[in-house]
Amino acid sequence: MAPKSARRRQLEAAALYPLDWVEERTGLVGGIKYFLFRHVPRDTNWMQTLGAATLTAFLVQTVTGVFLAMYYKPDPQNAYSSIQHITHEVTLGWLVRGMHKWGASVFIILMFFHMARVFLFGAYKYPRELNWIVGSLLLVLGMLEGFTGYLLPWDQTAYWATAVGINLNATAPFLGPFLANFLQGGAQIGPDTIARFYSLHMLLIPGGLIGLIVLHMYLVVRLGVTSPPWSPTAAGRERPDESKPEGARQGLIRSGDGQDEGH
Amino acid sequence: MAESKLKRTQRENHKRYKEDVKREGKPFFPYAMFHDTIMALVVVLVIIALACVWYFTAKHAKDGVGALGPLTSAKADPGTTSFVPRPDWFFYFLFYLLRVFKWPDSVFLGTVGIPTILLVLLIGLPFYDRRTERRLLRRPVAIVTAILVVLSMGVLTWKGAIAKESVGAENVQFVPAWAKKQGFEDNAKAVAGAKVFASLTCMTCHAYLGAGSSGPGPDLSAIAKGGRGAQGFADYVAQPSKFGNNVMPAFADIGADNLAALGEFLNASKGATATKK
Ligand code: HEM
Repeated sequence: MAPKSARRRQLEAAALYPLDWVEERTGLVGGIKYFLFRHVPRDTNWMQTLGAATLTAFLVQTVTGVFLAMYYKPDPQNAYSSIQHITHEVTLGWLVRGMHKWGASVFIILMFFHMARVFLFGAYKYPRELNWIVGSLLLVLGMLEGFTGYLLPWDQTAYWATAVGINLNATAPFLGPFLANFLQGGAQIGPDTIARFYSLHMLLIPGGLIGLIVLHMYLVVRLGVTSPPWSPTAAGRERPDESKPEGARQGLIRSGDGQDEGH
Repeated sequence: MAESKLKRTQRENHKRYKEDVKREGKPFFPYAMFHDTIMALVVVLVIIALACVWYFTAKHAKDGVGALGPLTSAKADPGTTSFVPRPDWFFYFLFYLLRVFKWPDSVFLGTVGIPTILLVLLIGLPFYDRRTERRLLRRPVAIVTAILVVLSMGVLTWKGAIAKESVGAENVQFVPAWAKKQGFEDNAKAVAGAKVFASLTCMTCHAYLGAGSSGPGPDLSAIAKGGRGAQGFADYVAQPSKFGNNVMPAFADIGADNLAALGEFLNASKGATATKK
C-alpha cells in the first residue's frame, strides 16, 4: 500500500477528532471497541442468536410503547376510546399497537427459547450461575409486564382477566391480600387500578428489565458465551494429551478449520 | 475435599476456555454480529407480519374477528353477567392448574404453591445441578426433566387454551332440565335464579349438574346441603370476601332482585341426581 498522503492523514485526523475527544474524556470508545472486537468461540451457532433476538423484541416493545404512551389515556372513561383512536384514526396507529401487542408474545416466546438453549448448552453452570438467576428474574418481570399491560385496553377481556388475576393474588398467605389491595387500589377495579397498572407497566417493570438486561449483557461479555458442548473444537474442551498442550491444540485447530460449518 | 476438587476443575475449565477463545476465537464483529443482525431483522419482520395479519384480517372480517382475534372486545363493563375471563396465553398453564386444584382446600396450591416451587427450582438450577458436564447425552437426568417440563407445560397450556368455556347463552338452555332434576319447577323464583346463575360468569368457575367448569370453585349441584338458606346464599354471593372467600369476585352489582333469586335457586339445589363431570 502506498504511504498515505499528508492531506489524507489530516482528513482522517479531523474525522476521528470527535471520537478521540470522547475517548479522552470517557473511555467509552475503547469500551465499545472492546465489545465489538472481543473474541467469541469460533463455533457459536444460530441458537446463540436467540438472546439477541429477545433483546430485539424488547427494543421493539420500548419503541412502540413510547408512541402508544403519546396517545393512550390511563383512566376508565378514556382508555378504551383512546385505544380505538389509536387503532382506527392515528396514522399507522394500528401498526404500532399491533406490533406492541404481538411483540409482547414474541418477546415471551423468545425468552423461553433462549432459556431452552442455555439449558441445552449447560451454559448456566460455573461461572455463569448468576447470569442464569438474572435471566430467571427477567423471565418473571417479562411475564409481569404482560400481566400489567393486559388491563390497559380496558375492554372486556382485559377487565375480567385482571379481576381474576387480582383475586388469585389475594390467595397468597400473608402478602397476598396486601398485594391484591395494592394492585387494585380501591374496593373495585377502577381509575386507581388503571393508574397503578400503567405506572408499573411503563416505569417500574421496564426500568427493572433494562437494569437487569444491562447486568445480563455485562456478564455475557465478561464471562464469554459458551461453545456448543458437542463441538469437537469447543473452547475449553479437554485435551486428550495434556502433557503436550501446544501440539495437541495446534492439531485440533487445523482439523477444526477444515470442518467448520458455522459460517 | 470433594468440594474443593470441584472448584479446582471448574476454574481450570474456565481458564482453558478463556485461553482457547483468545487464541482460536473469532471477533464478535463482524462474525457473530452478522448472525445476530439477521436474527434481529427476522424478529422485527415477524412482529410486523403478525400486526398486519391481525389488523387486516380483522378489518375485513364481517364479525370483526380476524385470523388472530378481534381488534378489541367490547368496552369493559363491571356489571356484565356473561363474560368468560381469559388471561393472556402465557398464563394458560397457571390458569389450568386452578382447575386441577379445587377450591377451597387446595386452590392455594394452584395459585401460589406450585408457581413458587417452580420458580425456586428454576432459579436454583445451577446450585443443585453441580456437575461440570455440559454434553447433553451425558446429562440423562437433565434431558428427561427437560422433556417432562416441556411436555407438561405444553399440555397445561393447550388444556388451558381449549378449556371448555361455558357460554351463558348455552347454559341457560339447561335451566328447565335442572329444574326438573332438582324438583324446583314450580318455584318461579328459583327458576329465575337458575337463569341468572347460568348467564352470569358463575359457571366459569363452578360446575352444576355436569355443566360448567370443574374448578376452581366447588360443584354447586348440592350446595343447599351447606344450609346457608336463601338469604345466606344471597349475602355470600354479593360479597364472598366477607365469608373468607377471596378468590370469587363480588356480585353485589347485579342487584337485590337477582341476588334474592340466586339465593332461592341455590337453596333449592339439593343435588337430586347430582353428577360429577
Ligand atoms: C429480557 C430477556 C433476555 C435477554 C435480552 C437476554 C439476552 C442474552 C444475550 C444477548 C446473551 C448472549 C448469548 C446468546 O445470545 O445466547 C445471553 C446469554 C445468556 N442468558 Fe440471556 N437474555 C434474556 C433472558 C434470559 C433468561 C430468561 C435466562 C435463563 C433463565 C437467561 C440466561 C442466560 C445465560 C446463562 C447466558 C449465558 C449463556 C452462555 O454463556 O452461553 N437469559 N442472554
